[in-house]
Amino acid sequence: MKVLVCVKQTFDTEAKIELKDGKIADAGINLIINPYDEVAVEGAIQLKEKGIAKEIVIVAAGSDKAMDAIRTALAMGADRGILVQQDTAADEFARAVALAEAIKAENPNIILAGHVAADDGSSQVPTRVAEILGLPHVNVITAVEIAGDKATCTSEADGGTQVTEVSLPAVISSQVSWNEPRYPSMKGIMAAKKKPVATAAAAAAENKVKILEFSLPPAKAAGIKLEDEPEVCATKLAEWMKNTVKVEVK
Amino acid sequence: MPHDNYLYQTRDIKFQIKEWLDIDKILSLDAYKDYYGADDFDAICDVNYKICRDVICPANKDSDEIGMKHVGGNEKAVISPDVFKTVYNTVIEAGMGPGFGDRQVEGRMPLYWYAPILEMQTGASPAIVMLWCLTQGATTVLQYNLSQELQERFLPKMYSGEWGGSMCLTEPGAGSEVGAVTTRCFPTDTPGLWKIKGQKCFITTGDWDGVENIIHLVLAKDPDAKPGTAGISCLVVPKFWVNEDGSLGAWNDVTTTGIEHKLGIHGSATCSLAFGENDNCYGWMIGDGPVDGRGKGMAQMFQMMNEERINTGIFSLGAFGAAYYAALDYAKARVQSKKSTDPKGPSVRIIEHEDVRRMLLLQKSVMEACRALLYSSYYYIDLSKEAATEEERELAEDFFMIQNPLGKAYISDMAWQMCAEAIQVHGGYGFMEEYAPASLARDCKIYSLWEGTNFIQSQDFTGRKFTMKKGEPFKKWLAEIGDFIANKKTPEFAAEFAMMERAFASFNSIVDMNAAWTTTNKQLKQLFATRIMHAAARVICGKLMLDQGLLAASKLAELGDSHFDANFYKGKIASVKFYIMNVVPEIFGTEEAMKAADTSAIDCPEDAFM
Repeated sequence: MKVLVCVKQTFDTEAKIELKDGKIADAGINLIINPYDEVAVEGAIQLKEKGIAKEIVIVAAGSDKAMDAIRTALAMGADRGILVQQDTAADEFARAVALAEAIKAENPNIILAGHVAADDGSSQVPTRVAEILGLPHVNVITAVEIAGDKATCTSEADGGTQVTEVSLPAVISSQVSWNEPRYPSMKGIMAAKKKPVATAAAAAAENKVKILEFSLPPAKAAGIKLEDEPEVCATKLAEWMKNTVKVEVK
Repeated sequence: MPHDNYLYQTRDIKFQIKEWLDIDKILSLDAYKDYYGADDFDAICDVNYKICRDVICPANKDSDEIGMKHVGGNEKAVISPDVFKTVYNTVIEAGMGPGFGDRQVEGRMPLYWYAPILEMQTGASPAIVMLWCLTQGATTVLQYNLSQELQERFLPKMYSGEWGGSMCLTEPGAGSEVGAVTTRCFPTDTPGLWKIKGQKCFITTGDWDGVENIIHLVLAKDPDAKPGTAGISCLVVPKFWVNEDGSLGAWNDVTTTGIEHKLGIHGSATCSLAFGENDNCYGWMIGDGPVDGRGKGMAQMFQMMNEERINTGIFSLGAFGAAYYAALDYAKARVQSKKSTDPKGPSVRIIEHEDVRRMLLLQKSVMEACRALLYSSYYYIDLSKEAATEEERELAEDFFMIQNPLGKAYISDMAWQMCAEAIQVHGGYGFMEEYAPASLARDCKIYSLWEGTNFIQSQDFTGRKFTMKKGEPFKKWLAEIGDFIANKKTPEFAAEFAMMERAFASFNSIVDMNAAWTTTNKQLKQLFATRIMHAAARVICGKLMLDQGLLAASKLAELGDSHFDANFYKGKIASVKFYIMNVVPEIFGTEEAMKAADTSAIDCPEDAFM
């Protein structure tokens, strides 16, 4: 069984984001594999360790910098990679078209991905990929069992869990609680250098979304300091919460 | 709450490893050229950073507050906090543990890349890092001295972290005076196999419940041993016997009789061990046995000791580096008092106050200077083992040997002082256990004491290292510093070069006085040994920092002021200038004191110490 994992390279979640000329100033910012995709990679490796998956292929669409994300996944234990070279300004539609084209050529049994990217948070790509490929899609899974050509997925649902049986091939996107991704080992890092990574041109697709502007969240307002008798402070605090913070009391 | 929030930064680490030291030279050596490229360091460093931030550092709270517990018995006598097993297994699985000790395996990593890994791990938890460091140190001795058959029996499971390792030197009556050991070894009918009897104390990671077995390296004397260190042999003594096929046998009569209750590193068990209480403890002699009462134990143990000494420098750097980053974080957030230049203005963050900036830049510059000294020393170790020519290997070995006592002692002395500065930045809160510098200060004090106290290092430096091989290596080492100062001057650093010229002249005067006292006044030599060692460290650190300053200035000129990395290079230049103009001049005080040759510490009657 071939498992393909889509990964995206994102800003380090610990990085301080700054804007320059209305765009995100990415120079010098540490880039990492999207933490949600990292969970999908770990899920694939566990399927291989159980003897279910025979090969794990990593696919990323983006600039040459995305090679680092692929190498990280290979260092964790994936077998080979494909870098689909694409402008980083590609939107979710164009990104999904590019990934779907590469996936089609690989004909995998399972396509895994994180359910959302830590940078834009759009949660669209796995669903779009499934739609383009005409495959079923199960989202935010926290567990998966494979038996023959069927996958039984446990997903988060409002107030509980949902168990879905789906025939393969299918697109399955993971929630972070599925597993705890392993750290690449020294041995894995060195082995990853020798694992094959192919490059491919992205299929042509026009963006459907135009980004007009980036802005940072408004700076957090200073708090207040109340210095008085406790009961006076409590009254003032309640008034401040009601009138300034607009806390609704029911 | 003890230190458990990882704020360590890696930019200067990467600068020193990849930009400053000649990485291409190391990676062109036969041992590394087919395996590593410069960018591999980033991948390794980044994974190690994540493990430190997400796994090791959060466990430091339990390490400090719960610590190791001695419960007795032969199986699991020392119990660690639950989280330790997860931390240990994560580090081992990532290959960031004792496997680095294998210096013969194909594809081994350059040793000078190991320095920052260990530094960052110590910055995450000074105690937890001991769980694998001592094992790595023990494998250093075994892989170069043990028979092939015994290496195959012990080493694979030590490299894999399944078994731990320790070095057993100290005894209740034999601390700094190692030659006084009373532990005895007795030959048996089996060649190489000896019976052991004795007691050891202060044995770091001498026992804990995260590993199946502990492989002790034990210093002992045979019945015919010469007095002092000459008669010492070194034996490998497992806690549980290791059968020929590598499987575990019976308990080998090694008892953990207790652990110490210490000022710091509570998560590292400091054990008292009894060997052969039931007359049933055996060990294998490392290398050939003693001949005519002369053993090879000290020479063998020094192979481990030399690396443990430089590692102690690295531990020190990691601990006070973590304290600096905690202080920096606090100084950027804490609002208190008006600016001296705007007394009617608003209260400002304390990083805006002059004296806080002084303390922060002192910590930053000393941290970077110590890092330069240590990484360059590790670089020499790499060259001493892997360089193409015998001449180059020998010179690198000599320079490492000269710098090693400085790396151990100066930096561990700085660790204590810099943690104090980090506490001071926090004001009254620094005295509270809920802020990181408190536990780091407690943890770092051990570094000036173990692996040979810092005074022993100063005796080694001002005695053996000045005169080894008729003093030629030391002359070459000094000449390199002098040549650099004479030939690398630039207008941007004119004042710093002038200061270094004066400091170098002062240090030469110090060296001459020390040499004269060797025959004329041994007591003065002892009185000033520590201060001479610090003076030497400031001279070499000044040179290394100035070299980094030149590189930083050229990089800044190339990249321009608006480049995203410009602030790093500006910060480096500030560190260089501060270190040379504020720290290096302490040499002049030492020179003046030596000229005064004050002997009041000797002359003062003992009863007058009241």
